[in-house]
Amino acid sequence: MKQSRRYAIIGSGAAGTEAACQLRNHDPDSVITVVTTSKLQFIDRYDLPRVFDGVDDWRELLVHPPEFYHDNKITVRRNTWVSSVNTRENKLNFRHKETMVYDKLLVASGGGGHIPEGLREFSAYLNPFTTFQNAVRLRDSLGKQGKVVMLGGDMVGLDLARSLTAAGHQVTIFANETLFWPHEIKQADIAQYVKALEAMGIKVVFGRKPVAVEQISRPSKGTSYSRRLVFEKGKPELANAIMPFYGLMPALNFMMGTGVDIERGLLVNPHLKTTNDKIWAAGDVCQIWSPEDNRYNFFYGWANVKKMGLIAAHNMTGGSTEMKTSQTNKLKITKNGVLHSPYWEHD
Amino acid sequence: MVAKTGKKTLKSLRKLTDMQISFCGSAGDGTIAAGDIFKRAMAAAGYQIIAFDVYPPEIRGFGKCIARTRVTYDQVYSLKPESDVLLSLNDAHAIPHVGEVCDYGAVIYDDSPIANIEEGCHMSAHLKPAQLPYGVSFREISERATSSARSRNIVAVGFIAGLYGLPREVFHSTIAAKFANKPRSVTEINLKAFDLGYEQGVETFKIDTCYFAPPPKRDKNTKVLMMHGNAAVARGCIDAGIKNFFGYPITPATSIMEILATEMPKHGGRLLQTEDEISAIAGIIGAGFAGSRAATSTSGPGLALMSEMMGFGAMTEVPCVIFVSQRGGPSTGMPTKTEQSDLNLAVLGVAGDAQRIVLAPTNVEGCYKCAGMAFELSEKFQTPVIVLIDLYLSNRYEAVTLSRKSLFKSDNSKWAKKPSKREPFNRYKLTSDSISPRAIPGQQDCQHVITGLEHNEQGRPSDQPEMHETMSRKRHIKLQAAIDYPNLAACKRFGDMGKVRIGILSWGSTFGECLEAMFTTRKRGITCSAMKVVMLSPLPVDAIVKFMADCDEVIVVELNYEGQFANLVMGAVGRPVHRLNRVTGMPMAVDEIIAAISDLTANPSAARTAAQ
Ligand SMILES: Cc1cc2nc3c(=O)[nH]c(=O)nc-3n(C[C@H](O)[C@H](O)[C@H](O)COP(=O)(O)OP(=O)(O)OC[C@H]3O[C@@H](n4cnc5c(N)ncnc54)[C@H](O)[C@@H]3O)c2cc1C
Repeated sequence: MKQSRRYAIIGSGAAGTEAACQLRNHDPDSVITVVTTSKLQFIDRYDLPRVFDGVDDWRELLVHPPEFYHDNKITVRRNTWVSSVNTRENKLNFRHKETMVYDKLLVASGGGGHIPEGLREFSAYLNPFTTFQNAVRLRDSLGKQGKVVMLGGDMVGLDLARSLTAAGHQVTIFANETLFWPHEIKQADIAQYVKALEAMGIKVVFGRKPVAVEQISRPSKGTSYSRRLVFEKGKPELANAIMPFYGLMPALNFMMGTGVDIERGLLVNPHLKTTNDKIWAAGDVCQIWSPEDNRYNFFYGWANVKKMGLIAAHNMTGGSTEMKTSQTNKLKITKNGVLHSPYWEHD
Repeated sequence: MVAKTGKKTLKSLRKLTDMQISFCGSAGDGTIAAGDIFKRAMAAAGYQIIAFDVYPPEIRGFGKCIARTRVTYDQVYSLKPESDVLLSLNDAHAIPHVGEVCDYGAVIYDDSPIANIEEGCHMSAHLKPAQLPYGVSFREISERATSSARSRNIVAVGFIAGLYGLPREVFHSTIAAKFANKPRSVTEINLKAFDLGYEQGVETFKIDTCYFAPPPKRDKNTKVLMMHGNAAVARGCIDAGIKNFFGYPITPATSIMEILATEMPKHGGRLLQTEDEISAIAGIIGAGFAGSRAATSTSGPGLALMSEMMGFGAMTEVPCVIFVSQRGGPSTGMPTKTEQSDLNLAVLGVAGDAQRIVLAPTNVEGCYKCAGMAFELSEKFQTPVIVLIDLYLSNRYEAVTLSRKSLFKSDNSKWAKKPSKREPFNRYKLTSDSISPRAIPGQQDCQHVITGLEHNEQGRPSDQPEMHETMSRKRHIKLQAAIDYPNLAACKRFGDMGKVRIGILSWGSTFGECLEAMFTTRKRGITCSAMKVVMLSPLPVDAIVKFMADCDEVIVVELNYEGQFANLVMGAVGRPVHRLNRVTGMPMAVDEIIAAISDLTANPSAARTAAQ
């Protein structure tokens, strides 16, 4: 009897989940296992700000209901950390000391928020925003009209900032050069985009370097601020939550020592194949060779990431499709004077 | 093609507490102890409890243990088919049980195993898409608390308590009580292990939909005790004033004897472990003859050995009580699995026409009542009384509400008055109720002998044809009144009254599942009643006939292969019944009863043919 092909996918985000669905289409008899650190099935991260509109039940944010995975025979191993990949034996090693064999592997492990080295020791007091749990904890710490301080600022952070202001919270960004990341903005244009941000109710402050984050255990009378941001110079800033947004850092520690080429992300050709014959990559984790730019580029955002999942699955099952690597994702100011980014679009 | 599945709107409605937690591990992992602490703490917090442990026959090192506890606001009658939370202390054993966890329920497991695991042997590989995983480093936390992994089970209990916001104090006092007989350091390290687990639970973001709402307020005139069926039997014995116990240990009855061994001396009683079951029953008949309240406990194989002496008890009309906890049979069978297959032996299994009283309680509180009442009945009717339970009821824990004063008469005998000179003492005197005055040996002017031979009114051997007819009738007729004995329901009907579509007839431990099935059936718009029959001998035939006349279809549900109760009922009533029999060693699943009822309502005649 012919043995079914075993596909392993690291990551249950937009890229990994799209790839799993496409693999099922292309190879109906295969064994598909998605490995993810998440405890929940795929939640649309762009939908997370809905918790500020009162969504309390994560099930409302699921992209596919649980039966979907059952019906499509896609095993999602949740709450599972890949600690390393054994490329000689084609095995994933899990943190809990189990191994899993694959015939073909797709790495779609996305990226985590990057925190500059000087602030890393304060991570316990910083609010990330990548999971439902993070979103609920942020909401609970804000109360009705909370104050959020964002550090750096990037398109992920700005997306959240507009949801927060719409929900009645106050947002101040202590910005640096990542303010519009991953858009590459000319120095001369920055002012107009900042103005658009301010038209959206988002306060932007330049030139202040944060050096420490402290917890306020007993907030002073009349305030609920539980965090203090200390700068190199000047008065500290108080807030309910302090959130770092310095761009994304590909999550690929587990790929170290595998021999697969890595720059900042996993390097893939336009077919999304890595330098290992059995490994592909998709989503925020990979840098795709762009012949037009003659370099490896990241292609963020919902549409790109989903497309990568689709292409990778196609190519893993014998197809030969290339990712379009000439893209112009321009930041715009709408007629109403507010900012709009193509990275914010999703279905 | 990728199958499309519609998105469901999934809003959980907050209702009263109804949570079932299962701890699963290997013998030696402390699984049963974890379940025990959990259920005791929940009962102490004021919830209703029903709990049942399944464990292997071996002592330590192999075999699967599962401790299931259902925690509710209102009283319920059985475990649920699905648990809300499964806690694995050993994935190899727990993995086959993942399917028992409800959608959006929690599966909690150790995510820091000590050794490498083969592919697919970790719990995280087996969760269904709608179940929620919690990987916790039980081993590491335990090592932090106690420098050993031994308290993993206590860490696990702490984690659950913290995750669901349960009161820490009741767990502290339960743990302290559990280890009260050990050095103080044992309590201290376990409290520390619990606390670390608790904190981990509090810090964990809860994603499942399970919850504990506050427990009900309690009536101050009653006391709530958490006990299993065997403990309830022992307590019933003590409250009824038992004076002598003779017994030989056998699973699953042993704990009755163990509890009485410590409790009886405190209440002026004596317990003797005899060399075998024959001596045990001989001992209680001797004690009964001497006027003492006496009992023994055993299981099916022991009861088989006792049958000769039971006949002797019936013939000599000596009061005595036999507690029988059934297990999987025949022979050694399945000592740690439940079954209801000793009904024939209990009701019929004695040489000669030796009818006796057989009571089969249906829940833990019933074990208490039947145990106490058994002494009253055996004295009143001067006969051996069997209280027939099974492993499921013996080991099943429930929160039992007891009145603060004893329910039982301390003496229920018709004692002989001093006989007149003209009329000598007749121990077996024929009376209007067929119950003769009783006297103890040595009682002045009441000298008599007892014998296993057929006898006349004086107790002298007689094999006259009329005498055997008369005495046989006496021994049977006197028992009929037991059916209407006050404060003891020989049978009871629940659910819809009057004419109904479906009647469920059951006995013993299985009745709880029948009640739950009846509630579900009624919710589905089918009229349904469930009748429990507590007195299996003499059988309350009139009430059963009346009940069956009201039902379009009657299904008899029991845990044996032959349909022993169904046969008994059909023999007595003369009307066919449908049967649902299982011998899996496990309690009857509510879902199976519901499925059988659905089949019956869909196609009654076919179901009947299949059932007969
Ligand atoms: C709140 C939020 C809003 C965003 N908004 C925007 C936006 O407006 N514009 C924009 O361009 N981008 C935005 N992004 C970035 C966006 O996430 C990505 O472009 C896209 O969603 C990434 O998809 P992905 O599948 O590559 O990775 P992800 O969605 O990040 O998924 C990564 C998966 O990999 C798994 N994983 C990681 N490491 C391991 C491991 N070691 N073992 C097992 N599993 C692992 C994770 O559990 C996760 O399931 C946003 C991100 C967030 C968090």
